[in-house]
Amino acid sequence: MAITHESSAGIRVRGLTKTFGTKTAVNSIDFVVEPGRVTGFLGPNGAGKSTTMRMILGLDAPTAGDVTVNGHRYASSPAPLREVGALLEAHAVHPGRSARDHLRWLAASNGIPTTRVGEILELVGLDSVAGQRAGRFSLGMGQRLGIAAALIGDPPVVMLDEPVNGLDPEGVRWVRSLARQLADDGKTVFVSSHLMSEMSLMADHLIVIGRGSILADSPIQVFMAEHASAYVRVKAPRSTDVEALLVGRGLDVNRADDELRVQGLDAPAIGELIGSSGLLLHELTLVRSSLEDAFMELTADSVEYHARTEVAA
Amino acid sequence: MSTLTVPRTGGSLGRTVKAEWIKLASIRSTWWTALAMVVMGAGFTTIISGVYAGDLADGTSGDSPAEYITQGLIFSQISAVVIGALVVTSEYGTGMIRATLAATPVRARVLAAKTIVVCGFLFVVGTATAFLGYFGGNAFFRNEGVGISLGDEHILRSMFGAGLYMAGLGVLAAAIGLLVRHTAAAISIVLALVFIIGQVVQLIPGTFGEWVMKLMPGNAGPGIVVPVSFGDNMLSPWTGFAVFVGEVAVLVLAGWFVLRRRDA
Repeated sequence: MAITHESSAGIRVRGLTKTFGTKTAVNSIDFVVEPGRVTGFLGPNGAGKSTTMRMILGLDAPTAGDVTVNGHRYASSPAPLREVGALLEAHAVHPGRSARDHLRWLAASNGIPTTRVGEILELVGLDSVAGQRAGRFSLGMGQRLGIAAALIGDPPVVMLDEPVNGLDPEGVRWVRSLARQLADDGKTVFVSSHLMSEMSLMADHLIVIGRGSILADSPIQVFMAEHASAYVRVKAPRSTDVEALLVGRGLDVNRADDELRVQGLDAPAIGELIGSSGLLLHELTLVRSSLEDAFMELTADSVEYHARTEVAA
Repeated sequence: MSTLTVPRTGGSLGRTVKAEWIKLASIRSTWWTALAMVVMGAGFTTIISGVYAGDLADGTSGDSPAEYITQGLIFSQISAVVIGALVVTSEYGTGMIRATLAATPVRARVLAAKTIVVCGFLFVVGTATAFLGYFGGNAFFRNEGVGISLGDEHILRSMFGAGLYMAGLGVLAAAIGLLVRHTAAAISIVLALVFIIGQVVQLIPGTFGEWVMKLMPGNAGPGIVVPVSFGDNMLSPWTGFAVFVGEVAVLVLAGWFVLRRRDA
């Protein structure tokens, strides 16, 4: 294994920019992906996640800026699969080639012993279908093969682009525990997703990207504390009176259907206030907005395509 | 998780060639296409020889048997083009090219390895096809008492020349594949160049037209495949092949230029 200095381990991105014609896909971003933890790379579709990952692997040339992996450029590595393993897309496999042959050529290209092919097939659970043509694989099996390809060189840096796409619940759990295990082994694990809920279960650290810019870069707890908000849900039969009362006390009240969302006071205090005014209460609940909501809020301005959710009356 | 203890060594062309060979050999269509090359090439040579053996023997045709002994290879050209194109375009069609370039970031090495593998494979299959056709066709000629021998003038050159020409044609298709990145487009372009455009340019009048025709890859290249030249209006075998190799080299350079600069 290569000897790497603590300071250069992981992935370092500096001023990275990519433009396609007049469109800026990635706009001068800087971040560091540290070893020993799972770093989530979160953003809506089209935010620049895959482009960034392709630039890390030297597949796309940056318009400006640079990337180092373990202290040097990816392309300068004599056996890059032993340094960085990447799952870029599930079907980067010839449909007529068997899983075993796909891993065999990858191993041969980087001087990795052929015995590793059998080991890795077993690790991802494809050993029983190793001789089957990859074109017959389900999306989930294709993902497993892609992950096998990423791990073939036992690299210290593992990059997975949307690894849980198309996986069944068992497969999703497997990817989560695999990412955790790799990080616990001291590897650098960089996982992209457009699903906040997935990231909240997998990542220790979160880098959020939207429209090619970094919107947040922080440990997941810090991200939650900063971005997730809470309110008290109040349901009452005479809700207009309750609303008037609460607004009169200077509280922030939003009406949503038949409920009131109250901020500025905790639930017991709100309950006492309403009760002491002789009004009836049907429900009083503290609601913490999920990380998903925090993510939606953060990226609301950076989503490429909005769906209209209002239904015409 | 196990740890790999193999020492770090420099990347090498040998590894990339091995990887490219595994890729080519692990696809069933490679073998079907190679089989088609052999069956069509050797088969048609044998059939054509069988049909004309009688005429050659009684002197009615005025041709020599050697003119027929590599005729079927005209059809083998199609297989060479298909194999050469697929080595490149199947990777663009499936997204595999990203895996290839991530495994071997030195793109010139990827191109060199693909060229070596295509050349080696098509040289072997092309030469084998020529020999099989020779033995099949010559059996009819012998029957009629007009058999030829491998020691006859230009026969051995034609056998190995067939391998060389098929190799060159495969590389030409691979280079076009790099430029257009699409299987059907690459195959159509090369087949049109060899079978149609090479003939159509005869319509260009004057010496200029003659030269354009002579220099077309599908006309210049196969001179080394035929023991007896197609006609007076052709370059000599090795001169023609040198021109052909030059043309292939220019296209490979163009392919390398785009491969080097293009995002994968």
